[in-house]
Amino acid sequence: MPSLPIWQFDVPLLILVVLFAVVALSIRNLMGTAIVFGAYSFMMCLIWAGMGAVDVAFTEAAVGAGVSTVFIVSTIYNTSATMPPRPGGLPFKLFIGVVVTLTGVFLLSAIPDFPKWGEPNSPANATVAPYYISNTIADAHVPNIVTTVLADYRGFDTLLETTVVFIACIAIYSILRVDEARSKTEDSGPVDAEPHYDPSDSLIVRQASRFMVPFMQLFALYVIAHGHYSPGGGFQGGVILGASLILVAISFDLKFLLAQWREKQIMLMVAWGVFLYAVVGLGCVFMGGNYLDYGFLNPVLPGEQDMARSHGILLVEIGVGITVMFSMIGIHINLASNGHFDRGL
Amino acid sequence: MDILAGILISTGLIFFLGTTIGLLRFPDFYSRMHAAGKGDTLSTVVILLGCICLISTQGDLSWILGLKILLIINFIFIGSPTATHAMMDAGNKAGAKPWKKDAD
Amino acid sequence: MLLVLVLAIKGPTVIDRLVAVNVIGTKSIVLLLFAGILFGQLDMFVDIALGYGLLNYIVSIAASRYYQHRKCLEPEHTIGKGEVS
Repeated sequence: MPSLPIWQFDVPLLILVVLFAVVALSIRNLMGTAIVFGAYSFMMCLIWAGMGAVDVAFTEAAVGAGVSTVFIVSTIYNTSATMPPRPGGLPFKLFIGVVVTLTGVFLLSAIPDFPKWGEPNSPANATVAPYYISNTIADAHVPNIVTTVLADYRGFDTLLETTVVFIACIAIYSILRVDEARSKTEDSGPVDAEPHYDPSDSLIVRQASRFMVPFMQLFALYVIAHGHYSPGGGFQGGVILGASLILVAISFDLKFLLAQWREKQIMLMVAWGVFLYAVVGLGCVFMGGNYLDYGFLNPVLPGEQDMARSHGILLVEIGVGITVMFSMIGIHINLASNGHFDRGL
Repeated sequence: MDILAGILISTGLIFFLGTTIGLLRFPDFYSRMHAAGKGDTLSTVVILLGCICLISTQGDLSWILGLKILLIINFIFIGSPTATHAMMDAGNKAGAKPWKKDAD
Repeated sequence: MLLVLVLAIKGPTVIDRLVAVNVIGTKSIVLLLFAGILFGQLDMFVDIALGYGLLNYIVSIAASRYYQHRKCLEPEHTIGKGEVS
């Protein structure tokens, strides 16, 4: 491989990352902090793309710089945007400064022990990686090694990560959801089927969103299905699908989205994705193999012989995508409307 | 083709430089949005057109890549001015005051 | 892009920071494609650029909606729970 201009690309980005972090922490207004944190996330995405880790970069761009910023803005919308002044005088601040500096010094002193950048003899590169690199195409016929490692070689990990996303959605739901029968707020009536537009809402934003949402969804389906060959896969595609629904919610009204996707349907679909993943694993057990050993699904799945692992990966990615998509939209509706599910950001 | 790509990319960079100077020097929020919305979108579109010319000479799947870059141009062309409009509307509703020339 | 960062640092109102982040996002899409061309594998980076272009738009619209509903630039100085307006 020719010598790539890594340092010219990475060093300005690293400086920018530190600058962004310092700026974000020194702004007093919480909205400004949230917005600058979105840019900070995207700088991290660029650094990972520079290292060649495109799947990670894609996930960071989609989640960190996109959806996560919208979540923080929704939270600030329902709480306040000021930070309360910190109690404690000068000795307290001095103590905190000393503790943080000592922790930083301890962490930084471990840096000379790391293997060099890109060294082939480091433990990560020398033990398991050559097996993955040389055996992926032979085992699963999937050129994207990251997708194979994620969904096939380390399938249990991904199952439990999907369950964690599911638990996050349920946790926010159970903390924030307000039971309508017991609350004494003025109720805006049942959710209607026709859209309610705020008269001050902008036609331009609505029309542009109406144009972009189908393309986003099509692109997200492409990302899920093409995850075998290009960076992508279930998580990234699911996040972009969820982001398209969030776009509908913020450019039209939240009630418009709730008229399309009722609350019960959203919660059901979140669970359904994890269920699909688990059922694929159980299907392998029924066919006589271990749990999540896709090779045994050969007689059941269409296609030529021993493409079962590739198709198994695709089924599992679809399950992950479904869960992530509805988790994103469930969390957004809960955060934006403060649990009332009627009006919001 | 490479010369065309070079011309397009350098033109885009000049536009972007103008945008940045405008963003810093304009006295008012609304005029800064003019600079951001128009100059930023135009410079990005021109630079990406230059990128399409650059990659059209290398590789065999380059027409698919060119199509994808055309899609990016499409979304930026529609999305970025709309975002500028939304931000200006938000600034108006939130009460940012336009700059008035001082009576000298 | 460093000059735009200066705007983000010193912008007098918070919406200036929003504008700066939007511009940085758009230019970073271009930077991603340049990185792809430099490393010779553009087909990986185009997908990320496309995805981020869509998400940049969503963040700008969401932050603008916050200000359209809240109708004031400086945050209120109460730390109680805010109402859904």
